[in-house]
Amino acid sequence: MERVLNKAIKIKEHLNEQYIEIKKDDFKDACVYLYEEKHAILRLMFATDERQIDGVFRIYAVFSIPGIDRFFIIVLPLKEDDTTFPSITPDIPTAHWYEREIKDMFGLTPKGHSDLRRLVLHDSFPTNSHPLRKDWNITESDLKEWGEGIKQKEPYKFMEVEGDGVYEIPVGPVHAGIIEPGHFRFSAVGETIFFLEPRLFYTHKGTEKHFESMRLFDGVRLAERVSGTSSFSHSAAYCMAVERIAGIEITEKAKAIRTLLLELERLYNHIGDIGNMCAGTALQVGYANGAIIKEKLMQLNERLTGSRYLRGVNVIGGVTKDVFLQSNDILSTIDTVTREYKEFMKLLLGSVSHIDRLENTGMLSKEIAQKLGITGVAARASGINDDIRKAHPHLLYDMLEFEAHTMARGDVLARMMVRAEETECSISIINTLLESNYAGALAAGINDIPAYSSSLGYAETPRGPVFYWVMSDKDGKLFRVKLRSPSYCNGPAVPFAVHGNIVPDFPLCNKSFNLSYSGCDM
Amino acid sequence: MFKEILKNLITRKPSIPFPEGFDIPPEEAVKIVSLREKIDTIFGRSLRIRQVDAGSCNACEWECTALTNPIYDIQRFGIDFVASPRHADVLLVTGPVSRQMELALKKTYLATPEPRLVVACGDCTIDGGIYKGSYAVTNGVANVIPVDCYIPGCPPTPIQMVLGLHELLKKLT
Repeated sequence: MERVLNKAIKIKEHLNEQYIEIKKDDFKDACVYLYEEKHAILRLMFATDERQIDGVFRIYAVFSIPGIDRFFIIVLPLKEDDTTFPSITPDIPTAHWYEREIKDMFGLTPKGHSDLRRLVLHDSFPTNSHPLRKDWNITESDLKEWGEGIKQKEPYKFMEVEGDGVYEIPVGPVHAGIIEPGHFRFSAVGETIFFLEPRLFYTHKGTEKHFESMRLFDGVRLAERVSGTSSFSHSAAYCMAVERIAGIEITEKAKAIRTLLLELERLYNHIGDIGNMCAGTALQVGYANGAIIKEKLMQLNERLTGSRYLRGVNVIGGVTKDVFLQSNDILSTIDTVTREYKEFMKLLLGSVSHIDRLENTGMLSKEIAQKLGITGVAARASGINDDIRKAHPHLLYDMLEFEAHTMARGDVLARMMVRAEETECSISIINTLLESNYAGALAAGINDIPAYSSSLGYAETPRGPVFYWVMSDKDGKLFRVKLRSPSYCNGPAVPFAVHGNIVPDFPLCNKSFNLSYSGCDM
Repeated sequence: MFKEILKNLITRKPSIPFPEGFDIPPEEAVKIVSLREKIDTIFGRSLRIRQVDAGSCNACEWECTALTNPIYDIQRFGIDFVASPRHADVLLVTGPVSRQMELALKKTYLATPEPRLVVACGDCTIDGGIYKGSYAVTNGVANVIPVDCYIPGCPPTPIQMVLGLHELLKKLT
């Protein structure tokens, strides 16, 4: 690390975060050193507009090295008149979307990036307009034209595949099933997918900018609504970030409740996902069984918290409901669910036609997964042992005994089996948590929140780790929130996984990743 | 299979319990039962819904999916979700309508044959909900296409959705 630290102009430590501010010439070198020599993972990368504080834009690249519970954050300050920064994508492909996003939202150009098309903002968004700049505004007529989508101000060019017998299939954004919107452009030869280019961000709701109009305490409600089925993990990560800024230590009891509900969220998602994969292979009985078990868990959620999606529980400083008072209900429901889940898995694994469809479908090699920075279930199914609960222990995870489950195959079956093993793991964590008593109040007292300070918050959603980087301003409002959902990392994996598969297997592959477009599009 | 059915008859295996909201007073229950009749008279035996996600957080979509699970089983009322707007009587829209989905939603609306109904499902369809005021949303479905019925909730539970659809049909007769 000396090589990087020696070049630092400023070093700041905050809990397990180390901010290393560096000159423009050394930025790329420092990032590549961490990535190549230390095998660090690029967790997230983002920009901020801090011109009103000290006259600069800043680029942050957050790395974490496997085995070390510490975040190394390389910070690059950019003067107002200097809107380019060296692209790290040629060496660290994980950064390719982050850098395009920074270009869209801040107008800072990554020099050396091979693909500078727009990512987040679509064709009819005005040119040279960057929403996350603090002095940005937009006229009513521009907004109207953006929505109407008729005037293409910066046309998007899909990549084209040429050759004998290659034809294109455009799909979406409105799909045949009850799913989220996204556009997929297949280049196929007969039935075989030769190339797929997804165009996402249809559900872009300006979430990060919208956070900036809110008070830190109100942000929880928005964080809960970024991605529906990960409501609890998103709000837990957001709360964690704010609590770390303010130096609030939540009680043992609040930690236990958060851990328990995180696992309940994982449980209903994983079982639902395994069931949904059956819809991709037309195994209706499997789909129905999965849906019944999931519904039972959703109803348990409702009885525990009043919300089927566990909303309204997290607050800054703790939780609002003591779910341990209903531990009998949890235990008996989990007991029934466990029994039914075992029968369900027996049915699925005994169905030759189902397993045959999953095997060798949607292969994602470890090498590609590593380069793209794939995360969560999809990464573990491709043999990458990375689970934020283990890598950066938080809440009660350092006291619990569990494993990060990995599979080497990287196909749809592996993604199903990782979910299956994690389901059992979650059940045992829930049972263990309910055996003990936890002391403390539901919510801790609130401290004053220091101005212009920032921190990371994270949690393992059912899809993978979610990160919130929160910065406060001087009035108790949010200055900048960067949120990175696992779907944002895993979006680029789908084209690689479906390459060489047949078009009818695409829904199955897509379901095995189970991306939340809303989480990705922000 | 037959063994399983016989076993169920003998042991009187309890059916899956309905969630709390289903314990509604008898009058309300009658309303749900007669939903089928309503649909019969208006739409001729069936009501076909095309769901459009216009920037929702995906919770509403999962509740729509839950409607078709064996517990709520909305098909028994003659209601079903279809793959194309061309086959639909109702457009069920979720989300605050993000600017980048506005055009797609309008096109889907125009592709739905008349008489068409629009149901806006979820709090954010009313006025943008938590996203109200964001530059990237239109603050509610009514700003984009005409709405016939709102089903509030964040997200509305499957039961609220069934009741909402029923209210819609009641208004029509």
